[in-house]
Amino acid sequence: MKKYWKSLDELKDKSIGSDIEKKPEPEFSIEGLSEVEVSDKLKSNRRDFLKFFGFSVGTAALASSCEMPVRKAIPYLSAPEEVIPGMANYYASTFFDGHDFCPVVVKVRDGRPIKIEGNELSNITHGGTSARIQASVLNLYDSARQQYPLKNGSKANWDTVDQEIKNKLQEIAEKEGKIAILTSTIISPSFLQVIEEFKAQYPSTEVVYYDTISYSAMRMANKQTFGKAEIPSYRFDEAAVIVGFNADFLGSWLSPVEFARQYAKTRELNEEKTTMSKHYQFESYMSLTGSNADIRYSIKPSDEAVILLNLYNRIAEKSDMPTFGVEDSPVSLDQLVDDLMKNQSKSLIVSGTNDIYIQALVNGINFLLANLGGTFNFERSLNTRKGCDQKFNGLIKDMNDGHIDALFMVNVNPIYDHFDSASFELGMKQVGLTVAMSEYHDESAKLASYVCPDSHYLESWSDAEPYTGMFTLGQPAIQTIFDTRQAPESFLKWAGIETDYHTYIQNYWENNLFDKQDQYLTFNDFWNHTLQNGVFDIEVPVAECPMYDFEFIGSNANKLISEKPDGLELVLYEKIGIGTGKMANNPWLQELPDPISKGVWDNYIALSPKYARDNQITQEDVVNINGQLTLPVMYQPGQPYGTAAIAIGYGRVEIGKVANGIGKNVYPLSSMKNGYKQFNIAGITIEKTGDTYPLATTQTHHSMEGRPLVRETVLDSWKEKKNSGNELHEINEKKAVSLYKKPEYEGFHWGLGVDLNKCIGCSACVVACQAENNVAVIGKEEVKNRRIMHWLRIDRYYSLIGPEKPGPDTIYRIEPENPEVVHQPVMCQHCDNAPCENVCPVAATPHSKEGLNQMAYNRCIGTRYCMNNCPYRVRRFNWYRFVDNDKFDFNQNGQLSKMVLNPDVVVRERGVVEKCSFCVQRIQEKKLDAKKQGRLLRDGEIKTACEQACPTNALVFGDMNNSDTRIAQIKADPRTYNLLEELHTLSSVSYLTKVRNKDYVPPVEDWGHDEEHA
Amino acid sequence: MSNNIYLNMRKSIILIPVLLLCFSFILQSIHAQSQAPPEWAVCAACHTIGKGKLIGPDLKGVTERRDKAWLYSFIRSSQTMIQNGDPIAVQLFEEYNKIPMPDNNFSDEQIDGILAYIENYDESAAAVMEQPTETPSEDEATYEEAAPGLKGHVKYGPGNTQPTFIIFLILIFVAIIDLVFTKIIKARFIHIIIILVSVFVVAEITYVEAKALGRQEGYSPDQPVWFSHKVHAGQNKIDCLYCHSSATESKSAGIPSVGVCMNCHNVVKNGKKTGTEEIAKVIEAWNSGQPIEWVRVHNLPDHVWFSHAQHVNAGKRECQECHGPVETMDRIVQVESLGMGWCINCHRKSEVQFEENDFYKEYVHFHEEMKAGKRSRVTVDDIGGNNCQTCHY
Repeated sequence: MKKYWKSLDELKDKSIGSDIEKKPEPEFSIEGLSEVEVSDKLKSNRRDFLKFFGFSVGTAALASSCEMPVRKAIPYLSAPEEVIPGMANYYASTFFDGHDFCPVVVKVRDGRPIKIEGNELSNITHGGTSARIQASVLNLYDSARQQYPLKNGSKANWDTVDQEIKNKLQEIAEKEGKIAILTSTIISPSFLQVIEEFKAQYPSTEVVYYDTISYSAMRMANKQTFGKAEIPSYRFDEAAVIVGFNADFLGSWLSPVEFARQYAKTRELNEEKTTMSKHYQFESYMSLTGSNADIRYSIKPSDEAVILLNLYNRIAEKSDMPTFGVEDSPVSLDQLVDDLMKNQSKSLIVSGTNDIYIQALVNGINFLLANLGGTFNFERSLNTRKGCDQKFNGLIKDMNDGHIDALFMVNVNPIYDHFDSASFELGMKQVGLTVAMSEYHDESAKLASYVCPDSHYLESWSDAEPYTGMFTLGQPAIQTIFDTRQAPESFLKWAGIETDYHTYIQNYWENNLFDKQDQYLTFNDFWNHTLQNGVFDIEVPVAECPMYDFEFIGSNANKLISEKPDGLELVLYEKIGIGTGKMANNPWLQELPDPISKGVWDNYIALSPKYARDNQITQEDVVNINGQLTLPVMYQPGQPYGTAAIAIGYGRVEIGKVANGIGKNVYPLSSMKNGYKQFNIAGITIEKTGDTYPLATTQTHHSMEGRPLVRETVLDSWKEKKNSGNELHEINEKKAVSLYKKPEYEGFHWGLGVDLNKCIGCSACVVACQAENNVAVIGKEEVKNRRIMHWLRIDRYYSLIGPEKPGPDTIYRIEPENPEVVHQPVMCQHCDNAPCENVCPVAATPHSKEGLNQMAYNRCIGTRYCMNNCPYRVRRFNWYRFVDNDKFDFNQNGQLSKMVLNPDVVVRERGVVEKCSFCVQRIQEKKLDAKKQGRLLRDGEIKTACEQACPTNALVFGDMNNSDTRIAQIKADPRTYNLLEELHTLSSVSYLTKVRNKDYVPPVEDWGHDEEHA
Repeated sequence: MSNNIYLNMRKSIILIPVLLLCFSFILQSIHAQSQAPPEWAVCAACHTIGKGKLIGPDLKGVTERRDKAWLYSFIRSSQTMIQNGDPIAVQLFEEYNKIPMPDNNFSDEQIDGILAYIENYDESAAAVMEQPTETPSEDEATYEEAAPGLKGHVKYGPGNTQPTFIIFLILIFVAIIDLVFTKIIKARFIHIIIILVSVFVVAEITYVEAKALGRQEGYSPDQPVWFSHKVHAGQNKIDCLYCHSSATESKSAGIPSVGVCMNCHNVVKNGKKTGTEEIAKVIEAWNSGQPIEWVRVHNLPDHVWFSHAQHVNAGKRECQECHGPVETMDRIVQVESLGMGWCINCHRKSEVQFEENDFYKEYVHFHEEMKAGKRSRVTVDDIGGNNCQTCHY
């Protein structure tokens, strides 16, 4: 039998409960006082009673004599044609922050963008989004963005700045000085042309691409081996065997939203589709991708090359190719090689290591397995991630040598995110003209002589070509809020071109793309339709499949193996929420629990529990890393012994009230190897400082007391018996006898289905729900008090195979080095027999005629009986007023950032309980649309926020009364079960059993006896 | 894009009330011309004879410019001609800002009458007759009457109960004091009766006042412009949806933009009751670019989600059912309490458009019951209209 646990404490605790039971926290706490003192303080007496009584009567009297405020209604002077007050408009646009790309649809309500959805017309992302894309709308209303141009740190106006920059550029051009544009990757064809025009004006201009996370080695390896310095299109959906080496392709690697969808397609199982991909992951920290792998190997970064070489040799042997001498692999590769050989041309091996030789080796393996042209191809290549490490190094050198006269930094922040920021800073001082063009007054902008703030993408015109021949358009959804100007517009100005960028893009499209289609006769038609759709794809010529050049790897194989370093090996990784740190000043992202560790509001050094204990380090101990910085320790099951992992993107300085002082900046720990930026660093030392630092995690929140919540099986068992792993469902159905009549619903009966096989835990739904439903951000302290407000949480369970029948005395005391992981989204289950409903003394939470468990905030008096009686722990209590409260200085405190609130959803007051409503506002809206048009509601028309955000289509919402709907099919699937169905709550959320593509592992009898810690 | 089609449709619908408005305005001057056929009033809303362009072209000499057959079909349905690509019709349509002329279901005789009138129109005679007469009408008297109220205090709620409340509160005190200390009245039952009655009255007032808390029945605030629904909706019979056009589509009925006012007040600059003064405010707002800050009369608390589209479009309710006889009000007043009990009662009574609207086909079981004769109607309540989350989310 499998043992599931959420936290290590829970695993070790004999009572198999959560620690909530053990350590009841005082309900009312006052800082600095003990519990006894607090309870003394809170004891009421007669005088208090009279005081409060008198006060209440007084206020009631006062309130009743008050007049209602006069409310104004100010209509437009001349109403815009497309705006109907109270109705949302949707505009197609494009999200691109220099790294991640996504075609989006922006929901604009009464002139304010309030929500981002994926663009379903896109052939790349098909409507998927990620947590960061969902949260990006909040950055629009961030008052910490740079609000006006700066000259030497003081406010200036655009005319002066433009004039002075132009004059200086003219001077530089006259003396033939060098101008450098340091920019994050540009995928906009129009912007590239703008730069060409700028170059024409100032011919000594050089463009250097700089990416925070570099894929430089990959491009170079592809050039050396395939003759193309390009990143191919990957087709995970075509792969039967997927092998990842330190590549978090579902979370951060290259194009995660796209890959997540492809990946999930291969994981789908139903009556027609009975095969699924097999996913092996070799990695040095527990990544989102690794947590979804069928078979995960926890390896040291330094072992990657060894394993890959072994793998190469084994495959090369079979095709009679030369092999390389290498030590034996630390893990057995038999099964993997077997699977790969069986699935020729249907496997895919990817590596996320920025090492040219490793990338070349991976290419070799893929080539030998005939995957080129199958699971990846160079027909359309990826245009993001063009950063070149060598060129950037060259630029730093040139700057320091005084060869650069002007430096434009577009959307880059090397002072923060480059390890050698010191030499970059020194170099900047040698440059006469430094211009920073980013949204924030960030670390690099602070050192620039001019700051020309860039606009938010929702305020800008843009176009993009993320893959060759696949175009998107971006349009502003609001006027610029501050006195900012988008970067291409600035370059146009400085190049002396008077056209505005909007017209410029139109001209570019008319001249370059209009004749590539034959659907529209006039450009105006073409432009309007493309702008409305947001996407435009053209055919690309079929390119000849390149051949792999074995020469390169043959002559460089010896460079793959480096000396085994002493000390810890450190991995720097990107978190789902914070990413590279560009959007760090976003409270939604800061409070988004990490999908694996569930930590919020901090970065930390993740260590294997066994390693930590061997070195007498406990959780939350602060350690000194390399003498450079200190960070608290987090135990992370799945972290390889002798390695550590830290998230980048934290430790921003003076960037905004949210991000300031959160975590530590670990970019300085990264390094350079063979001319490529490295995020795997060997030879790290850690030392205990003796301090402790409390970390806030949500891993023990809302525990369901160790009941069997996750059901899973393996593929072969499922093929034999379709309800494998879910045998309990049938038993529970039979057992479910009730005195009461089973509730029946006229018309609609809403339900949600969650496919655990497709859910990868990416958390886009969590942020989408927060944005849609005005869910409050509460800050680290309150998260520690277990008061996180998210209506939708993703429970992450670790699991190990245990004894068949664990007795009461079974002691779970082994260190879980490499547990399996399950992600399970849990929202209100909308039980038809809801335990919460019948305990409410004021009937604030009744059941609707459409099967919704309703919450009437204005009726709620805050007894919290419902919370106590909810077995799923999905109800949240407003302990404070989160709006206009300086104690919670996040997006709901501030006139500007409140603009993001959804006007269709009430902002909850202090003292009431709230929870998932199945996005009832969306249900009502779509029902009304259908009524207005006098037609039946279509399946899939109503999409809850979580469903719409999901990149993998793991969530399905619909009407369970109608047997043709997708949700009805899910209900009929033998994999279906309900959470805690044995309680007969008749919940409306159905889960589909998770199926792993691996061999059946029988229960381990002598499991759980680890004398070392007994 | 797709909006344009919709907008055009809307424009043609909304033009009818414009015509009606202008019709009544011009009616006063027209009735002097004894020969004017009654149908002319419709035309006169947008056309003049010899006085230049209005919304449509000057009709002087139109019978010479165009042949009769063309005029017949254009008057009956100009849009059909435009769609069929008649060059003159299209040109006119373009020239006059694409404001469609509404179709007229006139007989040949009626059209002949109009054309004859245009042909024989005598401008100089008409000019004398059109001099406005300065006799105060009945309507102006109402304006005078209403005028003092404009500046007065606005009352709402169940009425002034404060003095009664205080008197009975004092009575309780006096009774208790006499009962315990002074003992002037010997018979104790008198005290007790006084106390009981007073407590009842005080409690009743508290209950009624508390219920009215936050409600605004009878609310009739001053508006920045003395705008009369009686004149617009009542006398000129402008459709409510002409100005509150989003009521069929959106949750908000919408207060018309100044631009909508200007559709007519571009021409109509003299009000029957208020003279030029109030309309001048609208024109001033248009010219200065400052929108008018109206005071909302019908307010719902923030925790109530109400949709006009649901009621007007899907539910086919009349505006008056909730807003009262607006077309008779010079000042808008909130007639109903807009309390939850009021909403719920209506939801219990009101039938849904069950057979008419295909949306309700989803309710198979109800349809079966109706067919079998077991059920005579389906109310809003039956399909969940009284669930909490119908209005609160």
